[in-house]
Amino acid sequence: MSKQINVALIGNPNTGKTSVFNALTGLKQKVSNYPGTTVDKKEGVCKLPRGLKAHIIDLPGTYSLNASSLDENVVVELLLNKTDKNYPDVAVIVTDVENLKRNLLLFTQIKDLRIPTVLVINMADLMKRRGISLNIPLLEEKLNTRIALISTRQNLGIDSLKEIINNYKSISTDPCLDTSRIDPEYFDNLKQAFPNQDLYKLWLVISQDANFGRMSRKTLDIEKFKTKSISELKRLQQKETIKRYQFINSVLKVGQTIDTTKATGLRARLDRILTHKVWGYVIFFVILLTIFQAIYDWATVPMDFIDGAFASLSHWLKTVLPAGIATNLLAEGIVPGLGGILIFIPQIAFLFLFISVLEESGYMSRVVFLMDRVMRRFGLSGKSVVPLISGTACAIPAVMATRNIENWKERLITILVVPFTTCSARLPVYLIIIALVIPEGRFLGLSYQALSLMFLYILGFGSAVFSAFLLDKVLKIQRKSYFVIEMPNYKIPLFRNVLITVVEKTKAFVFGAGKIILAISIILFVLASTGIGRQFNNADYIVRMEVAGENLSEEEIETRIASHKLEHSLIGVAGKAIEPVIQPLGYDWKIGIAIICSFAAREVFVGTLATIYSVGQDDEDTIKNRMKKEINPVSGVPLFNFASGISLLLFYAFAMQCMSTLAIVKKETNSWLWPMAQLVFMTALAYLVALIVYQFLK
Amino acid sequence: MINEIIQTILVISAMLVATVFLIYKFVVSPKRKKATKECGHDDCGC
Repeated sequence: MSKQINVALIGNPNTGKTSVFNALTGLKQKVSNYPGTTVDKKEGVCKLPRGLKAHIIDLPGTYSLNASSLDENVVVELLLNKTDKNYPDVAVIVTDVENLKRNLLLFTQIKDLRIPTVLVINMADLMKRRGISLNIPLLEEKLNTRIALISTRQNLGIDSLKEIINNYKSISTDPCLDTSRIDPEYFDNLKQAFPNQDLYKLWLVISQDANFGRMSRKTLDIEKFKTKSISELKRLQQKETIKRYQFINSVLKVGQTIDTTKATGLRARLDRILTHKVWGYVIFFVILLTIFQAIYDWATVPMDFIDGAFASLSHWLKTVLPAGIATNLLAEGIVPGLGGILIFIPQIAFLFLFISVLEESGYMSRVVFLMDRVMRRFGLSGKSVVPLISGTACAIPAVMATRNIENWKERLITILVVPFTTCSARLPVYLIIIALVIPEGRFLGLSYQALSLMFLYILGFGSAVFSAFLLDKVLKIQRKSYFVIEMPNYKIPLFRNVLITVVEKTKAFVFGAGKIILAISIILFVLASTGIGRQFNNADYIVRMEVAGENLSEEEIETRIASHKLEHSLIGVAGKAIEPVIQPLGYDWKIGIAIICSFAAREVFVGTLATIYSVGQDDEDTIKNRMKKEINPVSGVPLFNFASGISLLLFYAFAMQCMSTLAIVKKETNSWLWPMAQLVFMTALAYLVALIVYQFLK
Repeated sequence: MINEIIQTILVISAMLVATVFLIYKFVVSPKRKKATKECGHDDCGC
């Protein structure tokens, strides 16, 4: 077996660290969480020259080793814990050629931990345009390390980086800064108290206490040595930073030259337009419109293909498998249930494709900046923007992302309003209902359906912001968190990065809900095919007697029998019991069952309806057609009409239909009070809005 | 007859597996993952 080494990929945010990770590992990567935390852990394997293998860990972006968030703390914890199985044999520090000075701070800190440290200078393709030239041999000498000048965009220097990693043992582990120079007296005492420990590591363990850290100090009796107050420790940290920058300045003075006349002002000009107080919002609005229109225009063909393929698969299964209840389960339960969710893959993939392009291009940071202005007017700081925007993918990581908000009340408000933002699980519900009740016409080249979808996204974000405004009045936040965001340079998105994001997110969407939908489809099918009592068991006889006078074809009679059996099956009886509650909203018992099942995950709604409508029905029909054919037995009009459809869309826009979000809110607030309040408030609001809208529109 | 028995067994098995999965997913698993540390401790994450 070939030898494997641990390589930690570390760097400031926006240095192209993930691009380096992708370039090294390709698709051989997996994402999990750091133990006990909710911070993403990305790992991958890279083959190095001469048979050596590297286990690459992409650590969260951090500006320094003075941790101020949970993400940064993960980096510090790993680098200080030699017993950790992921403790790096070599640290690869990724820097951006345009921000080398700031990026080198982290490099000097990690090098001082005496870990073999490689410096990667990324985005080398921008050097000429920005008038930057580097004397690499001199920089290597001054920084006492090996440097890889690379460009992930042009795939340059990756092989040389692999070669350097391969020879990591030859890299000097001498520190850049003599730690005791920070405060000779203090560090002298520290050295005497712990003679066998590395001085800089000790200092990091002690100084983390002044910040956010959750460092375990059990092994070191540091508490006894805490001779300085927190403010004094912070002052020493600042002194350390100044000393490091003095060192960095002296190195760059000789190793780097920047011809400012060559640097273009394109970024500044773009920023002036894209973050303009009026045009910035107009451009963002136009981009949103384009995205939603494209989602509709591009996804229709693959969606129709998937829908048709699943309908044919059901039919084919019934033809080739022996007749019986298990065949029916497969053809009428599992296949339509899964098809009900898989048809949304094209639209989900396109949505994440656009989001990924916006992130990769650097535009998303400008959106966060724009939203910060709006948020402040509603009583929230910009720190709430990131959770609210990430809530468009899923509320769970968004709730976790609130951990960066220091002020508890502000954090609580953000947690409580995040579920209003339109998550990807709402998307299938919106898409199917919009397709059924919104006409296909266009207004100024934009389809009504795309406009409706965009309206729902804006409604979700607007509801979150408005609720935050109300909660701010009730909870009265005295002190707001400050918000600092780095504006990365504009870049042409890397196709490989975009592709990996789209594949990962789509996979998470399909497999996350897929297993639940599969299980629910099986249970629903069994409950829909089983019944007790005369009405279910003698359905055939009862229906034939009822229609004896009518001139119906055998096929119509069979449909009526299936419908009668379903109505008197176990699921039918349960659905009928809750029907009085949901009837005023324009829904029947089948929708009621789908709403209840979708409490497990919102997208289950579509899978549930697909299963219920498939039981005993024509197996070659698509899900959309089946839903379109449903007739409200009370009014005689199509069940999914404009009034009931809009009512359903608004119900899902406001309702807290997600058990997992409730569980994570409980975990984050450490109380059942807040998730329960959230559940009651959001459900009551959803019911009320859906009721008013249906009664008004019907 | 055999076909009917086999198909019934398959459906019952699938139903049992599905039920156990959902119970594990939404009842057992969240309890296991329950936070052991109260808020205010070093690693509560607040």
